[in-house]
Amino acid sequence: MELMIELIVNLGLPLVLLILAYFAGTLLERNHYRSIRVRESRSRRMPVINFRRAPTTWDIRDSGLVTGHVVISVDYFKRFLAGLRAIVGGRVKSYESLLDRARREAILRVKEQAHEAGYDAVVNLRIQTSRLANSRRNGQGLAGVEILAFGTGVKRASIS
Amino acid sequence: MEWEPRDPPEGINVTPTHPLSELVTLVAGIVGVTVVIALVGGFFLDAAFQRLPPRLETRIFGSFWSGLFEEATDHPRAAAAEELLDRLATHWPDNPYELRLRVVAFEEPNAFAIPGGLVAVTEGLLDELESENELAFVLGHELGHFEGRHHLRGLGRGLILQLGLAVLFGGSAGETLPLLVAGIAETRFLRDHEREADRFGLALVYREYGHVAGADDFFGKLPDADADLADRIGSWVASHPVSEDRIEALDALAIERRYPREGALTPFADASD
Repeated sequence: MELMIELIVNLGLPLVLLILAYFAGTLLERNHYRSIRVRESRSRRMPVINFRRAPTTWDIRDSGLVTGHVVISVDYFKRFLAGLRAIVGGRVKSYESLLDRARREAILRVKEQAHEAGYDAVVNLRIQTSRLANSRRNGQGLAGVEILAFGTGVKRASIS
Repeated sequence: MEWEPRDPPEGINVTPTHPLSELVTLVAGIVGVTVVIALVGGFFLDAAFQRLPPRLETRIFGSFWSGLFEEATDHPRAAAAEELLDRLATHWPDNPYELRLRVVAFEEPNAFAIPGGLVAVTEGLLDELESENELAFVLGHELGHFEGRHHLRGLGRGLILQLGLAVLFGGSAGETLPLLVAGIAETRFLRDHEREADRFGLALVYREYGHVAGADDFFGKLPDADADLADRIGSWVASHPVSEDRIEALDALAIERRYPREGALTPFADASD
């Protein structure tokens, strides 16, 4: 009987967590992507380029630093899949969507900040990714990811 | 600069694999490989340990267990039990061991076959037994383990396999899964050992007494004597088959080999007699 209980705890608990994480994570991700696509459509008129200098034809009146920053946590299901990948190798597909949305979200926030400040475009965009360490496992493992995007917002004299 | 505002393209930086299908593929693959390793590794370990000569075994393991169990010295039935063990062993002509019997201080009736030819019985077993025949079956069962070298197989196999897998798969989520599978694969093997030992024990009882009455009284004392559904599910992963099944198997064997199942039970010779 103790073996039964042991089995239930050792298998059942992670299984419940996995199911919970899968559904919650999928829902959150789907909603996030929906929001991202809507905002990308809305902000497509603001160019974001990563040339170091603005095009010489632009008549720039104002400029300033703009940043966009997002922190996203890895859910249990994604981490489990990544753990399995850690054994056999290959593309960690579960993290791909995580990083994709984080990056796009950060860039959208750069645009939003630039828009708030009255800029027309963002030049010299740079992106930095940081790993959030898992406090439980001595810093190993991935608790989440932080993306910082920053660039120079520029205001042009007239939009041509 | 000519510039067209456009939406970023989708589906390039994210591989369009459904996470559930990836989960199934990975789990099935890892479980499959683990099972293969467990089977192949077990096969080779078996072959290796089968070849360990009993004298070498006694030399290696002989003193290993002396400090492990709390021994109950001077149990009134210990001497008679050891004498019974020797008597039973005479019906096993190929016995390569110098058999010894020790009594360990556990209340639950149980017995163990320990590498080196040591049979350990618990205080609880000696206290609760009702007839010599009952003890004879238990001792015969342990002798059956020695005969099939089960005690060695269990030791070497489990240990080295767990070690190897831990080295190979020392990772995060990947840790529990392979070990669990290997663990379950292990227990099926042990149950076959128990069955073989039961059969050997029964044969020895028959050779000593001419009948097998009283041999399965021991099972009535085990905790799972009234097996219900929970026990049965538990037994699927547990190392011992359920008592009911063992009794049935023994009855079937007795019928098959025409052992008389009725006979006078020999009372146990207490030291006080």
